[in-house]
Parts: sequence; structure tokens; C-alpha cells
Amino acid sequence: MKTLPILGQSRQPEGACSERPLWRSLEELERGASRAGGEFPPGAAEPPAELSRRNFVQLLGASAALAGLAACQPPRDKIIPQVRSPRGGLPGQAYHYATALALDGYATGLVVTSHEGRPTKVEGNPAHPASLGASGAFEQAALLDLYDPLRLEGFRRRGQALAWRTLLAEISKLAAAHDADGGARLRFLLAPDASPLQADLRRRVQARFPAVRFHFFAPLAEDSAREGSRIAFGRVLDARPRLDQAAAILSLDADFLAGPGESLRLTRDFARRREPGASMNRLYVAEPSLTITGGAADHRFRMKGSEVLGFARAVAGLVGAVPASPGDPAPTRQAKAVADDLLRNRGRSLVLAGPRQPAAVHALAHAMNAALGNAGATVVYTAPVLPEAPAGPAVLEALARDVEAGQVDTLVVTAWNPVYAAPAGLDLGAALSKVPNAIYLAAREDETSRRASWVLAASHPFECWGDGRSRDGTVALQQPLTAPLRESTSAVDLLAAFVDQGDKGAYQHLKTFWKGRAGADLDLLWDRWLQQGVVPGTAEPAVQAPVRADAVLAAVRAAPAPAPGLEAAFAPDSRVLDGRFAGNAWLQELADPVTKITWDNAACLSPATAKRLGLENGRRVSLALRGRTVEAAVWIVPGHADDSVTLPLGYGRAVEGPIGRGVGFDAYRLRHAAAPWFDAGLALAPATGTHAFATTQGHFTMEGRPLALDFTAAEWKRSAHELEEQRGTSDTIQEPVDYSKQDYKWGMAIDLSRCTGCSACVVACQEENNIPVVGKEQVAKGRIMQWIRVDRYFAGKPEEPEVISQPVACVHCEAAPCEYVCPVNATVHSDEGLNEMVYNRCVGTRYCSNNCPYKVRRFNFFEYRGRLAPTEKMLMNPDVTVRSRGVMEKCTYCVQRIERARIDARVAGGKIESVQSACQQACPAEAIVFGNLNDPKSRVSRLHGDARRYDLLHELGTRPRTAYLARIKNPNPDLA
Amino acid sequence: MSATSWVLAEYRSEEELYAAARRLRMAGHASVDLHSPYPLTRSDEVLGLSRSRVPLLALLGGLAGVATALSMQWWTNAVDYPINVGNRTLVPYPAMVPITFELGVLLSAFAIFFGALGLFGFPRTHHPVFEVEGFRTASIDALWLSVEVKPEEAERVAEDLRRSGAAQVAVAPEAG
Amino acid sequence: MTPPATAAARTDALEQAPLIVGTPTDRVLNDELLDHVWNPKRGWKILFGIALAGTGLLLTGVTVTLARGIGMWGNNIPVAWAYDIINFVWWIGIGHAGTLISAILLLFQQKWRTSINRFAEAMTLFAVMQAGLFPLIHLGRPWFAFWLFPSPATLGLWPNFKSPLIWDVFAVSTYLTVSFLFWYLGLIPDLAALRDASRSKAQRIAYGIFALGWRGSARHYQHYRIGYLILAALSTPLVLSVHSIVSFDFAVSQLPGWHTTIFPPYFVAGAVFSGFAMVMTLMIPARKFLGFERVVTERHLENMAKVMLVTGLMVSYGYLMEHFIAWYSGNAYEAFVFSNRANGPYRAIYFAMLFCNVVVPQAFWWRKARTNIAWLFIASLLVNVGMWTERFIIIVTSLHRDYLPSSWGMYAPTWVDWSIFTGTLCFFSLLFLLFLRFVPAVAVTEVKELRHELAHAHAGGKEAAH
Repeated sequence: MKTLPILGQSRQPEGACSERPLWRSLEELERGASRAGGEFPPGAAEPPAELSRRNFVQLLGASAALAGLAACQPPRDKIIPQVRSPRGGLPGQAYHYATALALDGYATGLVVTSHEGRPTKVEGNPAHPASLGASGAFEQAALLDLYDPLRLEGFRRRGQALAWRTLLAEISKLAAAHDADGGARLRFLLAPDASPLQADLRRRVQARFPAVRFHFFAPLAEDSAREGSRIAFGRVLDARPRLDQAAAILSLDADFLAGPGESLRLTRDFARRREPGASMNRLYVAEPSLTITGGAADHRFRMKGSEVLGFARAVAGLVGAVPASPGDPAPTRQAKAVADDLLRNRGRSLVLAGPRQPAAVHALAHAMNAALGNAGATVVYTAPVLPEAPAGPAVLEALARDVEAGQVDTLVVTAWNPVYAAPAGLDLGAALSKVPNAIYLAAREDETSRRASWVLAASHPFECWGDGRSRDGTVALQQPLTAPLRESTSAVDLLAAFVDQGDKGAYQHLKTFWKGRAGADLDLLWDRWLQQGVVPGTAEPAVQAPVRADAVLAAVRAAPAPAPGLEAAFAPDSRVLDGRFAGNAWLQELADPVTKITWDNAACLSPATAKRLGLENGRRVSLALRGRTVEAAVWIVPGHADDSVTLPLGYGRAVEGPIGRGVGFDAYRLRHAAAPWFDAGLALAPATGTHAFATTQGHFTMEGRPLALDFTAAEWKRSAHELEEQRGTSDTIQEPVDYSKQDYKWGMAIDLSRCTGCSACVVACQEENNIPVVGKEQVAKGRIMQWIRVDRYFAGKPEEPEVISQPVACVHCEAAPCEYVCPVNATVHSDEGLNEMVYNRCVGTRYCSNNCPYKVRRFNFFEYRGRLAPTEKMLMNPDVTVRSRGVMEKCTYCVQRIERARIDARVAGGKIESVQSACQQACPAEAIVFGNLNDPKSRVSRLHGDARRYDLLHELGTRPRTAYLARIKNPNPDLA
Repeated sequence: MSATSWVLAEYRSEEELYAAARRLRMAGHASVDLHSPYPLTRSDEVLGLSRSRVPLLALLGGLAGVATALSMQWWTNAVDYPINVGNRTLVPYPAMVPITFELGVLLSAFAIFFGALGLFGFPRTHHPVFEVEGFRTASIDALWLSVEVKPEEAERVAEDLRRSGAAQVAVAPEAG
Repeated sequence: MTPPATAAARTDALEQAPLIVGTPTDRVLNDELLDHVWNPKRGWKILFGIALAGTGLLLTGVTVTLARGIGMWGNNIPVAWAYDIINFVWWIGIGHAGTLISAILLLFQQKWRTSINRFAEAMTLFAVMQAGLFPLIHLGRPWFAFWLFPSPATLGLWPNFKSPLIWDVFAVSTYLTVSFLFWYLGLIPDLAALRDASRSKAQRIAYGIFALGWRGSARHYQHYRIGYLILAALSTPLVLSVHSIVSFDFAVSQLPGWHTTIFPPYFVAGAVFSGFAMVMTLMIPARKFLGFERVVTERHLENMAKVMLVTGLMVSYGYLMEHFIAWYSGNAYEAFVFSNRANGPYRAIYFAMLFCNVVVPQAFWWRKARTNIAWLFIASLLVNVGMWTERFIIIVTSLHRDYLPSSWGMYAPTWVDWSIFTGTLCFFSLLFLLFLRFVPAVAVTEVKELRHELAHAHAGGKEAAH
């Protein structure tokens, strides 16, 4: 039968991203599938007999619908449901597929939930070493990009559209032209990637074009770390911390609890040792800007980025990693204390250096770990999984020079938006437009796509086959969850096109490649790999590498002394990373874990520096560095280093959709290739006017109220009993309802010792519960809709504040104040103790919100779900009502998951074993635990019985079902 | 029924009015009535009216309201759709007081207002006495007496009243 | 507030300032008091035009709200209630003077109520109409407002009778209905007087219909008087209950600054306070333009000033107690709310409230102030403002900083908030102007009755003076 001419499916490659028959169940898949037609109302899919004007219009409508629907097809090539997935496929039944997502080259294993072929929820893959079942804000939010209505579609050369086949033909013609000189004038600018398949393809391209050159670029590349290990070991090695082994940790500006890569695993290992007791670890952080790692530290030493080296050197001297030299300043009290602690914990201590720090600091860290006998114990060294070539801003300058010299005819760019992320002073756009054939593979229109002569729409990782490696080397296979929603291609296909295999399709490439690796029995292994999402036994082995102390010392000596004056400290942003997520509304509306700012970045500085410069929050300033100026608005961050200004990268995008355009300021315009992270000599001058920031929290002290409780380990020994009056039953004239007879009594426990405030739970909740994004103005008005928020309080002196994060969602009070004031019984209690919100009964008096002491209720002041693009509709979780205007909403304890589990349990004829709320599932720190309080064995009931358990606002007698566990800190007595 | 006439007489003072009224009642006219722009202090005893039934109506109305309110709150929240609302008891008597009181007052007020109108036979915008233009002063500044008699008696009664010192006398016939 | 009121009135009875100036005949009274119906005063049309335009503003505000949603207002989380409920409570409060004057003063035989009760009742009616608007439009989904009444629904759910909002629904609707019945019952004889004094057939027919056929019959008066008296007796607890129940909206919640047992009496006092202020604000110009000086004398105004002084003192006591208890209870949250009122971002409004509601009425200790018309007018205006700011302070400052500092916020009204508020003021004036144009603004019948009683009293000797 003829298909409708939409989506250019007919022009698609016979490969991963090609048109596929729809199948509703695995059986049907076996039987050979039906066509999309059956899925739609009659007439919607059948081609018209003859095209009258009337049914031409019908067609338009149909194609609009199909634009979304025709794409909800699982890939044709057999993809294997994850183990948890139920046998047999029913419409309305969710499937879980293991796949992987690479950020900055490192893959994280994921399990994506799919309804009727629509991916609706991203979760971590427990089997994957970099995830362990957790997932961060980036992984969660990547799903929104899949459905982004502004994604590029199709392929254009100099503005004129090319069909897929034409494109392939054109590329092979182009390639052939380069055969003559062995590809000397052919260049690739790629994102650093650990994918074995892509490495193989690069080899094959290299084989065809011996003179071809591959450049790698990532704005956040960790070049200095590589350089550091070259100094220390004479070769490039990845240092892989094993926090589960470390008792004393010194972080030299290493924000290891955040960002892509391995942070999920590290958070898990770190958090597991934050419970009071002998095994409790201790964290020292030396850093310029306040990070969530700094917030989790037991001791935090704030210093300019350039001063970290001096500190590191002092400690290194004391632990005997490098011989102290006569010129050294006397070590500080902090340095002594830290060194003593590290020495006390020989073999159980760990020194980490952050990617922003210069090579010397990394080298020192390696030397210290060697001296402390940590190497092989708390840190192992492995061969790097990323290409060793440098990938920092300097790469672009070199490339631009070659282009200017006219040495480049064809430049294939798969790296993300190099024109925008180029170092200050380099007009890469101009260079790019000089290249006869600049081929740019991009998901969305951006600064680079404007200057490239060829623009190819990139498929979303959830749309195409591939593989990737995590930091430890473990390989994960990337399964597509759906056929491409837009006609697009992938880096794999693009590379393959240069060896004339663009039409083979990623799936075939992948299969062949791994057949080469696994040999004949691949077919036996393949399905298991896909099911588990990991290829076992692919982790890199640890290698022994002696540290060359003299080289380290030389490097340290050679390092420049910190310059006086104001210092610019560039930093990856907690929401948009390097800018690639600037178009992602979930992340834009996610509050920064430290500043709680949404929809913005700010030039952050310390209270003292702000005072000295006479600045207040929101004041506009012009930042001048190396003769270039950028206008920004300042935000005062307690605990920030003095004379240092943190400039988060990734904002101020000029070419973006309405979501990202013109949000914040562009720090790249100040970032110099020579000093990509810390740059002295910043001049800051107040400019006219102030900037209105939209923050989700305006008040950061607890006003001496017992809200987010924390104790030091010593205090805790003395005063654990103080928590007695913060929990337990309180007198009431209303006979408490007895839930003990029920099968289930749902409850939650949130461990403040573990929570780092990373906010992954917020995005996970937003994704699971169809929570709308409201935009900056509404956030500023106090109308954010997120059901779970992470309150962040400062205590102590503004210079050296205690930072504590407290996730707060509806605590499901047993005696809920919101319920008895509702005039229409729209919020009532379930027999299992859930505080339920009946949307279709709610008339919107908002009385419940007024009477909620936790202020966790959210009101639809407008029709926030106004106009949804067809693809955006596909994003919705079918198990959760989409709320209309004028209705109150709030956390439901993921009641839809409870009910799903109940159904499955009934089918299996048993009781619900375990349910995970979305926030719990995402949490890398295992800080959030949900479960059945009537089951004494459940983890949540154990935590409810914990000595650290207390109820928020217990004195009100609301009897919340969500209990908090007080945070315990483990400071060094020597520093008390 | 047979047709009746209304004999109307205006008096200068309350005393004359009362005197005339008493005479007519002794003469066996039960339907004597007085009309004045403001309530007269002694009219009840002069006309020998029995106690008004309005207070009784008010009481009944009030009781009805209380009963309705109590049963409504009890039945809807405790019997028809009992549900755990904030761990509160299903029948919270203190919380039922306000509505019970309000409904009591409401129905009582209705009973009074519409009860009174009922007793008046209102609305009745066309009454024979209005046919006498002079009678309109009754609502402004004059004291009037009205008595309902058989047409043949009308002239005689009117004559009596004239002799008893009425300022003016008029007869308004009503078609039976 | 009744005992002080009577006390005030007693001392009053001994004074010589007359309730009716001169000795007009019923006819004269009738002509004077109904004159404004027959001959519209100059400027009425202009005022009416202004009020009409303002009502358009209300219409705009409401339409925008219904079309786009509550988001058009400044409300947010945590301040989920703001102008909507502030205005509701303010108007409902104003709506208390009427019934109080006509019912309670009637029961206490306060003769001075006579010439102002009709006026005050009308004001009550119109004020409650404004108030009733807000609970309706402040709903997120106003089209489901009927769910607040026990109506069978497909969900099978009933209203939650534990919620003070439901009590509100019953209280306000009852109050509106009963006030109307009371007002209309009192109006019937005067409508008859209008009918009989009317100059054209049309008027006669129109008023004839509304008079329902009243002919001043003694047989009717018998039921009429007892009925009116019982209605007054019912309205007395009713008027006290309504604002008590409104105060439950706050007192029943657990919010610091709301959760207070003193609220019912303190709200009622405040209601009467603002109600009398509003009567004064309307009466002073009205008696001038409508020429009621003869029956609405300085003595009436002075008595109202006394009531304002007394209720003003009660309100001040309320403030004092709130702060004392906040300190005495030792509850940190409670204490914070009240210190936040005086030191927080809204302190300007707080001190405005103290000035208008506590300082201004103190002037009424002096007779000069009580009898100075200009000052009375200004003072009454200030008290109206003061009582509005009181509701702002109670609602907004309690909400914007409650238990968890993390969710503290600020509130700022939008143009829609303002246009709805000013719109109700204009709609109120509109209704009032219509009332002044077509309905006897003074209870003519009762004034006539009063005149006769006073005449008797003079004849019969002093003891009957009251």
C-alpha cells in the first residue's frame, strides 16, 4: 500500500533510522507486522483515491497528526526489552529498554520507558557502572530534546534541500575528490567520543585518506588532566577514584559530585560513607566558587582558582609527595591539618584534582596519592577511553589558522557548536564560511549552522544505533527507542558515508563491528548485551604507573605564581552544561543548586568582594578581560572566594529557539584559549541598570527554626536525644486513623546526610508527572510548578557558610491541614494514607495551599499546557493526568507507579514488593527512599526508625509520612 | 357570593377614629378596619384583634431550617459518602453549628416574610378602596376607617359616619 | 458592641439635640423625604455616569480574569489569597452597619436609628452584593462554583462541611437574603406612600406593583410590626454570626497570624467599625444634597461617631491582644509574623492601619470632633482605608512569610486587581445612586411614627422621652 508523502520516509536510509513497520507486540513483530494504518482512524492513513480539495485538506490534518504518530514506531531491527519488562505487549503497557547516552564523550547507561513506542521517561541502568540505576538532570532532560519541535529536519547544501540518497551521492563525490591527495585537504572536527564503533570508522576513513586529520573539540575538555598525567607518569592515564574505599578525601577544585561522566557513581560511593559511624568519610574541598561538592564538604577552603596550586603544594610537601624547597611559604594551619589527616589514613585517603586546575595540580595529586599509598587502593589508573589528542579551545585556533592558509577544502563538523564555543577573539564563523565544503551535523539551528555550507539534521541518541564507553571503559550499546521523528542522520552514518557505506546503516555497522570483536557467538551474546545495556568485561584494567616526582616538582616550580587582582573563573553551568542544553526548558527552569537562579547565569562573587566594589544582587556590570568586554549581572554567593568572579559558560546564545535565545550572558566571549579556566586581570565596572533574576528561593536563612537539622559527629554523640521531640506522636483530640491493618502504608524518608542538592530528582519528577514549564516571568512571580523543590539554606558566617540542602515535596500528612479546609472534598485521604488530589473535583479556592505549612502545593494560574506541538504531546506520560487551568496540584508519591505495581502484583498473584518514586529512582545518592511502612523489612521503615529521623514541623501535629534524617557532618577536630 | 361595598371615612384625630370604629363594631360590623400612614398604638384593642400567628410561623421555619441543616450535613458527610478528610471525625458537631444556625435563620426569615404576605393576601394591587382617590392620603397623612357592608346598607352606614364627624366619607362598590 | 451603644444612646437621650428639627406635619415630612424621588437632584446624572464608567472597569477586570485565569492577578504561592479575599472581607464588613442599626438599635429602642436605618440597610445590601462577587470570581474554575452547594454530582461527592469556606457560602447568602427581606419589609409602607403621592400614571403603576397593595390597614400593621420585630431579633445574632464565620476562614487554619481565637469578636467589631464609617461617608454628603438635615441631625452623626469610637477601641484591643499573645505564647512562628508586620516589607501599610484605625477614632472623645461635619467625613474616609489595610495586613503578611523561609515570597497587585477593586467601589455607588433616585432613602413611615411618639411624649411628659 502507498504511504503518505510525509517525513520523507521513502528517502530514508535502509538503516537504523529508516521507516519501519509498526508492531504492537513482540508476537506481532515475529509474525511480521501490520502497517501504521491500523493504528489510526479510518481515512487518516489510507491514501486518498483522488485528491479533491476537500480531502487534500483532510490530508493536511492527517499529516499533521502523523507527523507525530507515524514516528511512534520502534526500530525495525529487533531491539530487546530490558529484563524488567513484562512478557507480551499490550497497548497501555510500558516497556523499558536499555540504551546509553554520551555526554562529553562518556556514555551513561540508561533504561528508557516507552509507551506505545513513545519514550516517556529516562532512568538509570542499574547494571551500568556509571549509572548504578541513577540518572542526572542532563540524562533526564535529554528526552525533552528528542521531542523538541525546533529540531532541524532534513539535509541542506547552501540552503537547498538534499534527499538522503542525493546527500550520500554528493558526499561520496566529495570524498572521491579527496582521494587524489590522500585527503590532505579533508578535515574532521569531532566531539571527543569513546565509541568503539566510531573509532573503528575513523580508522577506516584514515585508511582511505592517509593524510586526513581528525580534530577533537569539546568546550569542557579535560586537557590539563591529561597533561598532568603525562607529567606524572610520562603517559596519559585516567585517574579513577574509588570513593567507597576513601576515608579522607581532599578535593582540589574537583566538583566530582556534579556534571557528566562519572558523577552519578561517585555520588553513590560518597553518600554511602556519609552515615555516622566508623566508616564515615571526611571531605576537604579547596575551591574558588561554591559547588555542591563544596556544600557537601566537612571543611571547605575557599581560594582563588590560581591559589589552589599553592595549597596543593603545601599539602604535598607535608605528606612528603614532593620535597619541600627553600622558597616555599610556611604551610597554613589548614594545610597541616589536612596533611595529618591524609597521613593518618594512608592507603585510605584520596586526593582529587579538578579538570579546571592546571596540569601541575593534577601531577601533584598523582604524586600525593602515590606517596600516601592510595594508588591502586582509593584510586586506580586506567588507559584513557577518549582520544588522547587535546580537545580544548586551542584546537579551534590551530584549525582556523589552517583554514585561513587555505589548507582545508572539506571540514566535517560533528562537535557541538564550535562557532559559539570558540575562544574569545577567534572568529571561527568567518573561517568556517571560507571552507568550500563545511559539513555540519546539528540537532538544532545554532551559531555554527548559520556559517556552514552543509547542514545535516542530527538524529537524537534515542533515535539511532550506536555504542559508547563510560570512564571505566565499560561498553554500553545505544538502542534506538523510536524511529527518527524528523528526517535526520547520525555521526556514524556520516563517517561511514566517507567510506561509501553511508547507506549501510548504523545497525549493520554496529553488528559487523562487534562480530569482529566477539566472533561467531555474537548472536548468542547480542540479545543479552541489549537487555542488560552493557557489554561485560570491557572495563579497562588498572595499570601500575610509578610517579616521576622530579618531573612533578619541575612542573610545579615552572607553574606561574597566582597574579593579584580580580580573577575570572569560568565554569560549566549546572543546567546548560556548556550551552548545549540552552534550548531545554526543563533545565532552563531548573534552579541552580547553589544560587537557585532559573533562566539565567550570573557573574558570581563573594559578599566581601561585592561590598568592596559596591555591588548588590542583580546589579549590571561590564566585565573586561584582555581587552574584551561583556555585560553581565552579578549575584552574591556566600562562601565564594574573594577577588574571584565565577562566569558560568553556555548562556547568551545568539542563535537559539525562543527558550534559549538571549538568556544570560556569553562568558565564552571572555574565555581565552591560553587560559580557558582561570584568567587574572579581570576588570569589573558597574554598568547602568539592574537585572531581574528569577529565583525559586528568596530567603536563605532558617531564622533559627529547626527545619534542615545538621549536627557534627561530635555533637551527634552528645545530643542525639534532642531529636526525640522532633518525632513521634503528638497529642490530638482527633483519634488518629489506624493504618496498621492495611496491606500498604506508603511513606518516604529523605536522608540529608546523603543529599547533595544536585536536583536530579526535580527533573525526574517533572518528566514523570507531566509538570509544565512556566517561564521566567511566572517563576519570578512565585508560580513555579515543580512538585519537588530542593531548599538550600546557609548557616553561619556569610564568608564561610554551612550549606545544607533539603528536598521538599508533599509530605503526605496523616492529619493534613490542606484537606479539611477544602470546601469541595477535592483533596482527601486514601485508605493507604496518601494525600490525594482530585483534579477534576478541584474548583481552585487555593485555601489548601494557604493552609499547607510546607507550601508544596502548586496552582495552575494559567493554562500552562496551552499549545503543545504534536511531538510535545508524545512526551506526556499517559499514566498521569495533564492538569488544566485553575486546578491545584502537588506531589502524589507517584501514585501512578503504585497503581501500576498493584496491577502487576495482582496479575502475579502476590503483594507489591517494591515501588520507586521517580525522585527516588533518579537520586544518585540514595537520599530519597520510598516504600511501604507496614513492611518492617522495607528500607523506608528502617529509616523511619533511625535515630536521625525527625519530622519537619513536627510540633504542628500533621504527622507527615515523609520523614527526614538529620545531616551529620564529620569535621576534623584539629580544625575545630 | 353577593356583592359588597366598602364605606370609607376620614377622621381628623385618632380619638374620633377609635370612637367611630367602636360604634361600628357594636353595630355588628366585624370587618371594620383602620388605615393610617404609620402604625396606630391602640388599633389592636379597638378592633379586638387576636394575637398574630407570625411568631408561630417564624418558630416553625426556624426549626425546619435547623432540621434540614443537621440532617444534610450528617447524611452527606457521614452516611452517603464517608471519607477520611484530614483525619477529622465524620460528624464534627462543633463544625456543624454555623450552617445549622444560618439555615435556621434563613428559613425562619422566609416564613416571616412570606407568611406575613400570605396573611395580608398580598400581592393584591387592585383593591376597591383604591377606587376612592381621597383614600390615597391614608398612606401620607390622613387617618381612615373602612368597613365592608352589603350594597343596600352602604348609604345608611355612610350617613352614620358622616354624622359621627368624619371629615369625608366615600363608598367604593365591589362587583361580587 | 450593643451595651456600649445603648450606653452612648442613653446619655444621648438626656441631651437636647433634637432627632427631628422643628415640628413638621406628616404631609411636610412626606413631601420633603420623598422629594428626591420626584425631583432628581442636580449632579445625579454626572455621578451616575462616573459610576457607570467605573462599573465598566469591573466588567473588564472580571472578563479578563475569566478569560485568562487567576494568573492575571498578583496572587502566587505562598500568597494564594490577596485582593480577592481582602476586598471580600472588607465589603462584607461594611455590610454590617445596616443590619446592626436597623435590627440591634431597634431592639434596644434607639429612636435615633429611625432616620438612618433605611439608608444603612441599602448600603448593607449593596456592600454584601460586592462582597459576594469575590468568592465567586476568585475560584480557579468559577464555572464550577455550584459545587460549593450540596448538589448531586456524577462524582457522588458532596461539599466538605468541615471547611469554613462552605460555612461562608451559607452565611453570606443567608445574610444577603435576610437583609433584603428585612429591607423590603420595611420599605413596603413607604412604597405605598410613593404610590399614593406619585405624579404620573406610570409611577403610580410602578410603585403600585412594588407596594404589593399596601393600604396601611391596622389588621396588617398588627402582623407587620411583630414580623418586623422578630426579623430584627433574628438579624441581630445573624449579623454577629456572619463576620464570625468569615473570621473562621482564617482562625480555623493553622497559619501563624490567622490561627487566633480572638478573631470572631475582633472581626465583628471591625465590621461594625467600618460599616458605620461607610454609613457616615455616604450620609454626610447625601443629607446635604437630598436635604435631610431636618431628620438626619447632628445628633445622629454624633451617635455614629460614638459607636465608631467604641468599636475602634475594640479593634485596637484586638491588635494589642494579637501582639501580646504572640509574645506570651512563646511560639516563634507566631512571634515572627507579628514582628514581621511591623518590620517587614509591608510595614508602611501596617503603620497606616494603626494610624487610621487606632489613632484617628481617638478624636471622638471630644464633642467638637463628633459634631464637626468636615472632620467626621474625613475621619470616616480614613477609617474605611484603615479597615482595608487591616485586611491586607492580616491576609498578605501572614501568608507571604510562613513556616519555611525557603518558600517565602512577596505579593504585588496587578492592574486587574486594581480595576476589580475600584470597579466594585463604582458598582456599589451605582446601585446606591439608583437607590437614592427611586426609593425613599429615609423610612418615612417610621419618621412619621416617631414624630407622633415625640409629640405624645411632649404632651405626656418627660418619662416617655425614651
